[in-house]
Amino acid sequence: MKKTAYVMVMGIMLSFLYACANTNSIARVHPEEVKGLPRCAECHNDQWTALSHQTQDFYLKHKIYAAQQRDACNTCHKESFCVRCHAHKEEIKPSDKYKDRPELSLPHRGDYLSRHRVEGRINPASCLKCHGRQNNERCKTCHK
Amino acid sequence: MKIKERKTTPAPPGARKAVASILLGCSLVILGHQSADATAINGSSETILRMREGVFDDHLFPLYEYLNLAASDSAGPGTISLEIGGWGRVDLGDRSFEHRTEGDVQYGFLSYRANRGNFTANAGRQWVVEGVATERIDGLYLRTDLLGGFTAAAYVGNPAVIQTDFNGGDLIYGGRLAHTMPKYYSLGISALRTETSGEGIREEEGVDLWLHPVAMLDVTGRSTYNSLTRGWMEHAYTASFTPTDALHVSASLQNVHYEDYFYQVTTNTLSLTNGFIAPGEEMWNVGGSVGFNATKNIGLSAEYNHYEYDLAGGADYYGVTGNFGTTTGFAAGASFHRMDGSNDRLRYNQYRAWATQKFGPADLTLDFFDVDFDGSISGRENTFSLAAAAGYDFSRNLRVAADVDYIRSADFDNELRGLIRLSYAFGVGKEGKQ
Repeated sequence: MKKTAYVMVMGIMLSFLYACANTNSIARVHPEEVKGLPRCAECHNDQWTALSHQTQDFYLKHKIYAAQQRDACNTCHKESFCVRCHAHKEEIKPSDKYKDRPELSLPHRGDYLSRHRVEGRINPASCLKCHGRQNNERCKTCHK
Repeated sequence: MKIKERKTTPAPPGARKAVASILLGCSLVILGHQSADATAINGSSETILRMREGVFDDHLFPLYEYLNLAASDSAGPGTISLEIGGWGRVDLGDRSFEHRTEGDVQYGFLSYRANRGNFTANAGRQWVVEGVATERIDGLYLRTDLLGGFTAAAYVGNPAVIQTDFNGGDLIYGGRLAHTMPKYYSLGISALRTETSGEGIREEEGVDLWLHPVAMLDVTGRSTYNSLTRGWMEHAYTASFTPTDALHVSASLQNVHYEDYFYQVTTNTLSLTNGFIAPGEEMWNVGGSVGFNATKNIGLSAEYNHYEYDLAGGADYYGVTGNFGTTTGFAAGASFHRMDGSNDRLRYNQYRAWATQKFGPADLTLDFFDVDFDGSISGRENTFSLAAAAGYDFSRNLRVAADVDYIRSADFDNELRGLIRLSYAFGVGKEGKQ
């Protein structure tokens, strides 16, 4: 009973705060068609300049941007784009699927099976987000 | 906690939710839309045939179909949309995996997004990325702007995990509260909890930040705390400095406590009990990179990362990359990287060179990737792959690409792989890239 009342009060409070926010939603579709790897600073001088895809550290930082403001990503990318790499269950490496896109930062290029024995020792933390709870069925083939 | 028998159920909760979402979404989009201009229905299909030999000289011809569909209607005060995507595989030759046929629903959810306040409500299988959460769930997700620059997000559902060895839980919930001044910063606090029969098996809290105090400086990062082990899982921060349009300097710092970070996974591969992940290990990674656009067509970058451990020996990873492009459809790149671990088995040189040229609707790509190990990996000190790919755009929506990949690896002396991909995009209206 107490929990229900607590949830109801919280819901009313949040509804009030939402009603007072009065902000415009981010556009669902980017007003200009963007091709290739965008350099956001060409048009933006606000916070979106940080999303420039051409910088060498964008691949490293994109997880933070997505975790803070995914609606901004969604103006150009649909869910289908994200699951190319962030898959629930997958049998083809992204770098095998798109060999005709050599410019993309696709993980595990080349013979990664040999290289993962080294990188898995050096930084196994980088494996966990994609293979700790998702996409881990093939690991069992060798890792009993 | 170990699952001795893998349980299979006729219809997982996620599948039921996905089907319900499809039916509800289709009815809303087809019956409920008031204006044809406000409706967008589109999708993409990728049909892929792989051709390769298995380790037992078996001939593998798995045929895949990847299908993504999105339908939206924005006639009202917000947009109702349905997104669903998945894949299926059938083996035309010998068995390539455990089963001759396989498939997966990667995502399938119904979404409502208001025109005001960035209010979003999603129901179904989806990928939630909010602060400490990078989770795929079968459930409900809510997000909204609040008064005074605050935003709130919450989610609850069933964790859509692959349980190869350990239980991944039957309930997951969490949320994030953040304050943002759009031009200067965004600071968030977040938490998640996963339960099995009411017992918490994951409890994580964290802070995430994006700081933009001056135009040239951008700091991103997060710290994550494990309540069950009472220790910090990870601190990861990156600072980027852009003094000119052509120059971009970046520095990063990462600290991982293995006992807290690898506390609850569903695969034995990354578990704390497999002897591979040392529970008492702590890793520090300090690194940096410099990117320089010498001209509009030439980009150069250099990176360096140093890894330091409590138990294992340290390592350095460094390298240089160069990219070149012309307005005539030619692009090329080359890179060299060195992994310098504590012994020969953890050291290698990595070389890559690629080039691609467009010829109107056609394109041709060559990609060479070579790794030279200081020690041997299964008796092999050098592995490489040489790929040649060709593509042809029949229209904006239809593309055929094929590639041949010659590989010398630790498992094969001379392996030849092939792949043919037919990509087709379809639909009416314009709603982002598939």
